[in-house]
Amino acid sequence: MSIADGLKAAALLFVAAIAQVSIFSQVHVFGGVPQVLLVTLVGVALLRGTIVGAVAGFFAGLVIDTATLGQLGLTSLVLTVAGYWIGRYGETTGRDRRHAPFLSVAVVTILYAFGALLVHFMLGERAPGGAVLESLVPTTVMNLVLTAPVYALVRLLLRPLERADFATEVQLLG
Amino acid sequence: MAPPNRSARVAVLGSSLQRSKPQPHPSRARSAVVRRSVLAVLVLVALGLLTISFRSPTSGVLHDAQSYGASALRPFQVAAVRVARPFRDAYNYFDSLARAKSQNEKLRQMVRDYRAQALLNAAAVQQNNELQRLLRFETGPRYPQDFRPVNAAVLAFPSGAFGQQIVIDAGTSSGVHLNTPVVSADGLVGKVTQVGRSTSVVTLLTDPDSAVPARDLKTRVSGLIRHGQNGTLILDRVPKDQVVDKGDWIITRGTVDRRYPDEYPYGIPIGRVVAVGTSDIASFLTVQVQPLANIDSLDAVAALVPKHPRAKP
Repeated sequence: MSIADGLKAAALLFVAAIAQVSIFSQVHVFGGVPQVLLVTLVGVALLRGTIVGAVAGFFAGLVIDTATLGQLGLTSLVLTVAGYWIGRYGETTGRDRRHAPFLSVAVVTILYAFGALLVHFMLGERAPGGAVLESLVPTTVMNLVLTAPVYALVRLLLRPLERADFATEVQLLG
Repeated sequence: MAPPNRSARVAVLGSSLQRSKPQPHPSRARSAVVRRSVLAVLVLVALGLLTISFRSPTSGVLHDAQSYGASALRPFQVAAVRVARPFRDAYNYFDSLARAKSQNEKLRQMVRDYRAQALLNAAAVQQNNELQRLLRFETGPRYPQDFRPVNAAVLAFPSGAFGQQIVIDAGTSSGVHLNTPVVSADGLVGKVTQVGRSTSVVTLLTDPDSAVPARDLKTRVSGLIRHGQNGTLILDRVPKDQVVDKGDWIITRGTVDRRYPDEYPYGIPIGRVVAVGTSDIASFLTVQVQPLANIDSLDAVAALVPKHPRAKP
């Protein structure tokens, strides 16, 4: 990954994080909140792999926690794992598949919700499982709606790498 | 060198040559280690931040750094809010429209409910007033002492072109019997002409078949109250040489001779004389009486049942 790519990804995620805390967090549709940062992270991680996904998730979470004066590291922890998992999926099974962004967004939305719920629960904070479950479907639907335009934008800024650029663990015989 | 007739399968399966254990490519193995290391480091850092932040949520270096970071991010947030404001306003506008639509329907339903409730309340107030007036009448000096009141609600108004009758919710179980006089708070209403166990039919004064012996309270002239035109009554059978003045009170005559007891007790107000006329060919005066009881809007009445079963009215 070039420095230019890194800067683009950082800018993209920064804008997405600011938009998330300032704009999208106030949009409530049927109890759900669109997560543009998560969708953007999915795009970046799918196109740039595990390491970039994990690092992007970490710093994006840091921006969120800082901007909202929340528990520092909480969102970072969840987004780091999410970015790593999406990057891994993009490097292996999900590469060159059209449905990969949508599948990733759907799965990560659910895992992110439960992950955040788990961390809050473990910290002894308020963890309203019922409310999270109720908002899960509308949130997932809205994230899926956002996926196509956001992924197209991310793909425009971060051109897909060649297959050889991906770090894989697939071992060939012979 | 393999023999020419040797197949590929034999070459693979029959070979005694041991294949070496596949070794990952050094660069790929290194990549996996780096990848996992990065993840581990990031997770550990996140956990460290989380721990520190959790242990000192309102003070400490990390909190100060977070505050500075939030201050640094604030202009970006303000800018984002300003950029998004027109869109948010548009969204809120349409959202409020949608909400207003559903809210409007709810409010309409509430208005319908409240209107129905208000009508019920108004009817209850009216009935309450009438009952209180009835109660005052029953405890007042005009009430006949030998009778006890059986209060009843008016259930139906089957009055039509063929008869002026109402149905009340009192019958034989309450002591009501045939020809029992029925009054309202204002005055005489009629008498019971059909009686059931818990309901009765009251024939009103305005019925064509109704006839009530009455007298002028002031001049003591007697006559028969019959139905007249336009909801009025006529004091019939008053000789032309008798005097009846406009504005006189007409009351029930009551029993004059004990051998011929009247159905109605003495002194129940019936109405007020509104016009007195005469003609050369008629033998009686034409005395028009305006009934005191509002026959068209009766809600509660009282049947006058004798206190002593043997007592004749």
